[in-house]
Amino acid sequence: MSGSDIRAVLERELGSESIGEAAGLQAEFAVQPGDGAALASTLRIMGEARARAQVRGRGTHDELGNGPIEVDVELSTRALSGIEDLDTQDGVVRVRAGTSLAELGEAAARHGWEVPLGAPDSASVGGTLASAAIGPRRLGQGPPRDCVLGLDVVLTTGEQTRCGGRVVKNVTGFDLAKLYTGSFGALGVIEAAWLRLRPLPERVEVRVASLAAASNPMGTAIDAARRPTVRCAALLDPSIAERIGISAAGDALLLVEFAGSELGVRDDESWLGGRCAVDRVDADVVDALARAQGRTLPEGGVRARIGLLPSACGRAARALRASGAELIVHAGVGLVYAEWLAAGESVSAVERLVAQTHGEARFERLPLDLKRGRDVFGVGADTRTRVDLMRSLKQRFDPAGVLNPGRFLGRL
Amino acid sequence: MERLIRRLRAIVGDDGCLARDEELFVYQCDGLTLEGTRPLAVVLPEQTSQVQAIVRACLEAGVPFVPRGAGTGLSGGAHPVPGSVLIECSRMDRILEINVADRVAVVQPGLVNADLSEAVRGYGLFYAPDPSSQQACTIGGNVAENSGGPHTLKYGTTTNHVLAVELVLPNGEVARLGSRVGSAEGFDLVGAIVGSEGTLGIVTEATLRLSPVPEAAETMLAIFPDVVSACRAVGEVIGSGLVPAALEIVDQRTIRAVEESVYAAGLPRDAGAILIAELDGARCELPREVERVRQAAERSGASRVQVAADEQERSLFWRARKGAFGAMGRLAPDLYVHDAVVPRAKLPEVLEAVCAIGDRHGLKLSNVFHAGDGNLHPNISFDRRDPDELARVMQAGREILETCVSAGGVITGEHGVGIEKRDYMKLVFGDDDLLPMIHLRAAFDPDRVCNPGKVIPTTRFCVESNPKARGYDQVPL
Repeated sequence: MSGSDIRAVLERELGSESIGEAAGLQAEFAVQPGDGAALASTLRIMGEARARAQVRGRGTHDELGNGPIEVDVELSTRALSGIEDLDTQDGVVRVRAGTSLAELGEAAARHGWEVPLGAPDSASVGGTLASAAIGPRRLGQGPPRDCVLGLDVVLTTGEQTRCGGRVVKNVTGFDLAKLYTGSFGALGVIEAAWLRLRPLPERVEVRVASLAAASNPMGTAIDAARRPTVRCAALLDPSIAERIGISAAGDALLLVEFAGSELGVRDDESWLGGRCAVDRVDADVVDALARAQGRTLPEGGVRARIGLLPSACGRAARALRASGAELIVHAGVGLVYAEWLAAGESVSAVERLVAQTHGEARFERLPLDLKRGRDVFGVGADTRTRVDLMRSLKQRFDPAGVLNPGRFLGRL
Repeated sequence: MERLIRRLRAIVGDDGCLARDEELFVYQCDGLTLEGTRPLAVVLPEQTSQVQAIVRACLEAGVPFVPRGAGTGLSGGAHPVPGSVLIECSRMDRILEINVADRVAVVQPGLVNADLSEAVRGYGLFYAPDPSSQQACTIGGNVAENSGGPHTLKYGTTTNHVLAVELVLPNGEVARLGSRVGSAEGFDLVGAIVGSEGTLGIVTEATLRLSPVPEAAETMLAIFPDVVSACRAVGEVIGSGLVPAALEIVDQRTIRAVEESVYAAGLPRDAGAILIAELDGARCELPREVERVRQAAERSGASRVQVAADEQERSLFWRARKGAFGAMGRLAPDLYVHDAVVPRAKLPEVLEAVCAIGDRHGLKLSNVFHAGDGNLHPNISFDRRDPDELARVMQAGREILETCVSAGGVITGEHGVGIEKRDYMKLVFGDDDLLPMIHLRAAFDPDRVCNPGKVIPTTRFCVESNPKARGYDQVPL
């Protein structure tokens, strides 16, 4: 079936108001189902036609993934929007996939709760879960999988399925919510989610410390990350610090966000103050860091996210800086964001580092010519068994290969 | 089958392969003792290569295999299926690595849960999941069941602490999944394996996250006139935004059994219920949090709230909770430990309904549970030799699960589905919901040779048990 034939069938089935221009780069048109039944119809039609779809929330991760990929349809979840059930006593919420994190966060905050998801506010809940997106507060928030209690997922064979539930502890059947979270929409399309909220902290404070290279900044960053109220402890290279509006005198700048009770925050602040000289900065600096971590790079730029053990972060930082990278290091959780304004030695530097430290990396931004013939996920890791199992899963969940073809690890 | 047993003996040695009837007797069930089947043989491997060789031998002989930890599971996840080989991992009990700087441990599956915390305590670390059976249960079993425990309210269940696994897949290949750095790319296969009840492979090594021992902890005991008011206190604590390490409730019938047993903790026998609250974290924060819990308890009707003065008193408070199951032996020869979860705000009404079900069926029903998680454990004391009572126990169990599901809950929070609740899965999930579970299972084990017949409901159990069966995918659920 051609692209125009698929469009005609979808228009007939869903109504012309559900069809529009694609917002992303790849597809000729977009379909925007308004409820679970419409989403199921859409996927069934695409499955039968073996059409290829780019599943898209609010587009905050458009640049991420293998490429180039070819798709027929952009499947937008934007119309699947709204908060369906906010249980303010239990601290859980049922929310539809297209809802923005900003809308959800505001609703939760009105009742004393916060959403432990670190993607930018403009991101959708579904996109954040599908990509397992994290932000600078990963240390305190944990990975997205930790707050997902249940999911409604539609398969390309048309079934509307549920897994998990609304309760905070649950081993009823296989933990499919873990499998879907971070699967880049390759297995099914998230329609709605039950999430676990966290109490809003009583007090939030942000401090910066300028550290000399000789003072073991990595050790200070790891120790800071292990204080009870610290939810972000990031070492920033001076150029990145300036980009988010902080001037730094030392070789590195440690940005620390404390969140918790009055007493707990005060206790941890005084611990940091006893270790190094600190300055107070506005709380929105951490949000600026979130934007900096996901910023669009100039043409030809490269950004890698490298996962490694905290104890390997110091060595990694030295090696990456030697290749010309600018760094954001979340040593407490073993994550390094490295940016190069031009590709240069970046790819080989990451591959070499990962091999030496037994870590794992992904290229979050990579020029298209470098993406060809290369998997941007699982860089440096032996992923053969993993990809075999993923392929076996993909064949069963999405036998027609409709969803995000070629985008994720293994180009499934 | 004699040929298979000879081959198994060649792999693990004569003392690692049990095949005589009297040897097999104790392996016919796990902690779910109401039914059981003797396996064809039990093998006790000591290393991954032996597990791999055992699986390959079973595949060639067309015999299903079932992994087993310490056999403490309560849902029959480690029950042998007819004609199966039971792979018991208790001899794979070594700690392979402790990385203090990065707070990671690598262990074999037969390591006893409590032994890991013991081994790392000197470094100021512990392994957080603490099932009630932690003195006996093993890490492999915990991974299979995604085990919880009293402190999961704050620290999460096993899935939050497993970074990577090595497992022997049902086709005999060895796979290493996940990453010790905690950010493996690709589908979250470790997340899918944890809690899969040994149906996706046999875990032979686990890389675990260790947690820092908190700077300070306070344990509180509150005495209530009834279990419903204790539940209200829990709702108030959770709703106020406090996250205690544990919130556990013990009801009156259990208190009396405990006080008449060797676990006696000096509790008032006329108390309707007790709430044990544990708070941990920074020393400076605890006094205020203790006060908040005290106020919530008193507002909900607590007649007395006590804070443990020292470690000895703290142990005494916990004795009432941890000794509860042992003390139940005084009430009747058998105990059915149920496990269900409800939204925490629904605890009072569900508890009332659960007690009414027990009364209606004339059963001795008591409650000891992880109230902070909404995780109920209605315990029914009975005598299996009385067929009428046994029938009432089973009927009451079904009604309890139906009540919990109607309240927005689920049929198991930490014990797993196994065979016990396999046929209750449809109380929670429809056929379409089960389809992805079947897909997941089939991606790892298309021939259903690894722990067949568990978790996924089917009326075609006999067909599923047969590793050579084909066409099951086409059989409607």
